[in-house]
Amino acid sequence: MNQQPFSLQGKKILITGASSGIGAQTAITASQMGAILIITGRNKENLFDTLTKLHGAGHVTIETDLCENIESLIDLCDGLDGIVNCAGITKHLPIKFIDKKSIDAVFNINYTAPVLLINQLLKKKKVNAGASIVLLSSLASIYPFKGGALYSGAKAAIDNFSKTIALEFSPQKIRSNTINSGMVRTPLLDGAQETISKEAMDAHEKSYPLGFGETTDIANMVVFLLSDASRWVTGTTIIMDGGLTAGT
Amino acid sequence: MDINELIKNLASEFEFDDPSKLTATTSFRGLKEWSSMHALIIIALVNSEYDVIITGNDLMQISTVQDLFDIIISRKK
Ligand SMILES: NC(=O)c1ccc[n+]([C@@H]2O[C@H](COP(=O)([O-])OP(=O)(O)OC[C@H]3O[C@@H](n4cnc5c(N)ncnc54)[C@H](OP(=O)(O)O)[C@@H]3O)[C@@H](O)[C@H]2O)c1
Repeated sequence: MNQQPFSLQGKKILITGASSGIGAQTAITASQMGAILIITGRNKENLFDTLTKLHGAGHVTIETDLCENIESLIDLCDGLDGIVNCAGITKHLPIKFIDKKSIDAVFNINYTAPVLLINQLLKKKKVNAGASIVLLSSLASIYPFKGGALYSGAKAAIDNFSKTIALEFSPQKIRSNTINSGMVRTPLLDGAQETISKEAMDAHEKSYPLGFGETTDIANMVVFLLSDASRWVTGTTIIMDGGLTAGT
Repeated sequence: MDINELIKNLASEFEFDDPSKLTATTSFRGLKEWSSMHALIIIALVNSEYDVIITGNDLMQISTVQDLFDIIISRKK
């Protein structure tokens, strides 16, 4: 019987999007719980900044655009006990303005990149039996917003990718879950606020019973999902929204 | 470009039955139909038609169609 089911001691975990926001905080929290990390992002300085904040030793960084090159990252990975995909972008675009270019921009990083990354890691046997996969989806996948057709669509697609991993890899006891989060204060939210204005964002926050979330709120859930404490949890979409969709 | 073309584009994207209710001096937030969706439409229209980036915060600072036209002109490279 594992006496420390919530610990990540000695687990090797890949975290994408670790140069900012939720991914950066998840890396820090996971390292505090004993994980050994491979962290990725595009911005070298920001990724290095995350590295300096990690606890413990043996962590590795790899700078790469996940839409362009995943080969070197896949080569570097071996014996993974966990994968956390935080890399992603958001976009507000009304339906009448959608074109092929905007579909590609939103789907490439939010859907195609994590699907190809995880499929290659599984195919090349880089993932240990009993590993846990956590995909940052969004509350938008079940509760869309105006201008969010592409983003909520890509996230809904990721939800079902995750459920399918849970089904296909249950013999290896590999688990997969999504976190379907409402608004969390990160640079991504700052970008969305630029588009819709601070006034609109402040008004939106008032509809959250517990207000917007913090990156540590998500990081703590990721740690739980990566740990053996969640060994019976797979194929779920975990809503974290400060009570927004509980009712009115 | 001229302001009449912008007015025509806006009226078409807003799907107004009577396009003549939009003029250079119309205040956006004074329109009875005004909603957050109209702000998203203006941002997307200005980006796709004029290749100019404007933000929700920019829209909060301005009032009329003429003000929007002035921003587009000033940012057009
Ligand atoms: N914040 C929210 O309110 C919220 C709500 C629901 C869901 N989410 C989801 O949570 C995840 C993390 O969001 P966040 O708020 O932490 O965003 P963020 O602060 O903007 O961070 C996004 C991360 O993704 C990386 N990234 C983006 N495009 C990439 C690409 N082409 N290749 C490699 N890396 C790329 C960025 O790397 P660089 O900065 O190095 O380029 C960055 O590390 C996203 O999937 C987002 O959809 C966020």
